[in-house]
Amino acid sequence: MQILMVEGVFLILLIVITLSIILNRDLLATVVMFCAFSFCASLLYLIMGAPDVAFTEAVIGVVSTVFFVILLRSVDRWCKK
Amino acid sequence: MKRRFGGMILDCAFRIMIPFMVLYGLYVLLHGEHTPGGGFQAGGMIAIAIVCVRLILGTQSNLRDLGAKAALWAGVGTFIYLLTGLVCVLRGGNFLEYEYLPFFFQEAAQYHKAGIMLIETGVTVCVAATIVNILDAVIERVDEDDSDD
Repeated sequence: MQILMVEGVFLILLIVITLSIILNRDLLATVVMFCAFSFCASLLYLIMGAPDVAFTEAVIGVVSTVFFVILLRSVDRWCKK
Repeated sequence: MKRRFGGMILDCAFRIMIPFMVLYGLYVLLHGEHTPGGGFQAGGMIAIAIVCVRLILGTQSNLRDLGAKAALWAGVGTFIYLLTGLVCVLRGGNFLEYEYLPFFFQEAAQYHKAGIMLIETGVTVCVAATIVNILDAVIERVDEDDSDD
């Protein structure tokens, strides 16, 4: 029962983070929230009993976040309305 | 990055951390049979260490020439994988049938362990080199855009 509650908390967090990514206009904040999404997904995989997938998700989340932050130097940080 | 990214604190902190990151990558590779992990994750860990060095030190890094050779190293990793399979074929087995590898073990399980370790090494080299190659393309793009401004 407790493990189901933890799963539910992480699923709700995933939905909230996704909504904040969609509604945000600051691209740097979007990239940081994407990293948080990756972290929550990784913990969710760990709870569901797939540590291998969780490890891969953690590594790839870090690498893609670093690449997005570097690429922010060549685009504008703020979206136009 | 032509410009270096970090100041003194990042520089000193990562000088201590990066050997441990590479060591953890090697641990994940070599201990991957018993614990979660394997070639892909180990390659990712080693690539993160190289990416951190190149971002923090910029052009002062000793690894700056690695970008030109990263595609070559990705080919080397794929070649290790292919060679392991083709040696088995040349010695009379199927592709990646590890019992036909030229080792002198007694049991079939030891042949399996050695063969899987060889192909995981190939996967590690290929993944790490590919991530460094992508980083190099990204940095080249960003530097072009910086020089336009």
